[in-house]
Amino acid sequence: MTAGRLERLGSYGVLTLFSLLAIYPILSILFLALHKKTDLVTGFAFPTHLDLSSFKAAWTEGRFGTGFLSSFIVAATVTVVSAVLSIGTGYAFGTMRFLGDRIVFPIILLGIIFPYEATVIPLYYDFQDVPLIHLHLLNTYWALILPQIGQSVAFGTFWMRAFFRSTPRSLIEAARIDGATSFGVLWRVLLPQARPAVLTMSVLVFTYTWNEFLLALVLVSGSQSHQTAPLGLSFFAGAVRAGDPTKVAAAAVLVAAPILVVYLFLQRHFVRGMLAGAIKE
Amino acid sequence: MGGIRLDGATKVYPNGVTAVEAVSLEIPDGEFMVLVGPSGCGKSTLLRMIAGLEHVTEGRIFIGDEDVTSVQPRARDIAMVFQNYALYPQMTVEDNLGFGLKLRRVRKNERERRVTDVARILGLDTLMARKPAALSGGQRQRVAMGRAMVREPKAFLMDEPLSNLDAKLRVTMRGELARLHDRLGVTTVYVTHDQVEAMTLGQRVAVLRDGVLQQCDTPQNLFHHPANLFVAAFMGSPSMNLVDAAVERDRVTFAGFSLPLPDDSPLAGETREAILGIRPTDLRHSREASPELPRITVRADVVEELGGVSNLLFLLDAPRVVTDATRAAAEAGSDDEGTLLADDQRARFCASVDGRRNVDVGEEVELAIDNTHLHFFDADTGRVLGDSTIPA
Ligand SMILES: Nc1ncnc2c1ncn2[C@@H]1O[C@H](COP(=O)(O)OP(=O)(O)OP(=O)(O)O)[C@@H](O)[C@H]1O
Ligand SMILES: [Mg+2]
Repeated sequence: MTAGRLERLGSYGVLTLFSLLAIYPILSILFLALHKKTDLVTGFAFPTHLDLSSFKAAWTEGRFGTGFLSSFIVAATVTVVSAVLSIGTGYAFGTMRFLGDRIVFPIILLGIIFPYEATVIPLYYDFQDVPLIHLHLLNTYWALILPQIGQSVAFGTFWMRAFFRSTPRSLIEAARIDGATSFGVLWRVLLPQARPAVLTMSVLVFTYTWNEFLLALVLVSGSQSHQTAPLGLSFFAGAVRAGDPTKVAAAAVLVAAPILVVYLFLQRHFVRGMLAGAIKE
Repeated sequence: MGGIRLDGATKVYPNGVTAVEAVSLEIPDGEFMVLVGPSGCGKSTLLRMIAGLEHVTEGRIFIGDEDVTSVQPRARDIAMVFQNYALYPQMTVEDNLGFGLKLRRVRKNERERRVTDVARILGLDTLMARKPAALSGGQRQRVAMGRAMVREPKAFLMDEPLSNLDAKLRVTMRGELARLHDRLGVTTVYVTHDQVEAMTLGQRVAVLRDGVLQQCDTPQNLFHHPANLFVAAFMGSPSMNLVDAAVERDRVTFAGFSLPLPDDSPLAGETREAILGIRPTDLRHSREASPELPRITVRADVVEELGGVSNLLFLLDAPRVVTDATRAAAEAGSDDEGTLLADDQRARFCASVDGRRNVDVGEEVELAIDNTHLHFFDADTGRVLGDSTIPA
């Protein structure tokens, strides 16, 4: 009896500790942002009054108006397109045998393993003048969207394949006998169950794309109007503009806010999707 | 219209396993055919070949008059009931039932009519709005059946549809299945490893072993005229008693016993060694049997009282018959008869006697042997000897 209670207390203790560790920096930044520069606070400090002036300043100085729009266009396009493509590839690799499937899948996985930082410079040169079709893509949304679709599809294929493999084969077979085409099986039988998995994948891809910095820094640096929110955040970095920590904190909170909102709304599905991917029934 | 014909059907899996080997089988329209055999003998593979879910390595498959060997499952007009039911989890019972019709663009009012009809027949009317997760095992099983029935296909294919149900429900559903087949008269291929299920459901039963068709006949004929040792040992519960024997013209000798052979007995008049097979029901308590039958006296080592009958298990003074066939059949035995006295190397016999005869363990009993129903098998090939009903 007592051992059981002790054990439970222990696990709650550990969980509380880790929750605090996770939430501390977030709260710390949020509280800092709610102060004024003149408050001269450092570290963790509860705000004594609600002051949004640093948010206003950060919003205009960081050009977050255009930044948010750009980020949203890029992240939404990447998320939707790569979700559609990944569902297709994941379905094929997860449920079908075809010529070369054992060779192509590891190649796609390279997209996850390969450090994408290494691709940024070659991409810069490629996008000056895309080989074969001779398009200039630098300083356009395409420069951010296309590479990130490629990268997300690598992850998405891996993710959706795991999901499709975990669905019982007999379900697919039953549908085929019932008269469904390959597409019908996917659309009518598998996808309705795949919602948590697809949602989780989308949230992960959206977050990742939203937060992306290096590609944006290199590939759209020449166009103010295409700059993404994280680039706006970088405006506050460096010695000159770092004089006001509350403004930096406010900018950070602004950039993180959409992700946080998405996560909070989808949190339940999110955890379920994580488990669906991880555990085979 | 909906007969099924297999012509030398062979399946070799990519890993080299030959799961089904040159099976030829003709299932007439409307027949209830059971495929039975021990685990891994290729029953499911054969059924899936008929369904079009497995590529046929060699041979041909016909449904109706059409060669469907390389036709897509959805174009074969068959319905399948899976062991795990494979109900669509996100759909209600009603949608599960109607799914196949919807895909086939059956008009809505026609679809609804057929779904309600089937639901009524199967007693699913009150469950129509539920999802599969909210159904009991037996209810899921019925939905799976219903999903096949609404399609009104040329044939039903069922892969161990009752094996996930508890014993009592299994018996009930077995009855329902037989009744449904009588009523619908649709060609049915039914896979099971349970030989009792095979005997009770099948109009004909095809026995498979290691991918090879052993015998296909009515349950009665399989039981009374097994074509080989494997079928003899596999069909029937408790299984057939087997012992090495020597036939000398009009007598057969085994384990120190000697019985006269009637004139019409399979090996009467010959002189040779063979494996003798006696069904447990052909060993009767002396006092219940006709006085003409020969008697042997044995000591009961185990008595299983089942009520109506008692199974007397006793050991003979002869080595146990061990061939590949008997071993395969014994491994498949689902009941616990294999475990009693299993480590004794002597031949173990079972006599099913009237349950009202009180026999105690260790007691000497006189048994009558019905020597008009003896079976003989070749020890090397396992083939039955001298049974004129079995084509060579
Ligand atoms: N996809 C596969 N790839 C390779 N070998 C397979 C495959 N499926 C089945 N086999 C093998 O083929 C043989 C027949 O399998 P099958 O599933 O048809 O047996 P079964 O008679 O249905 O057995 P059970 O009663 O256990 O269901 C077995 O030896 C099995 O290991
Ligand atoms: Mg099977």
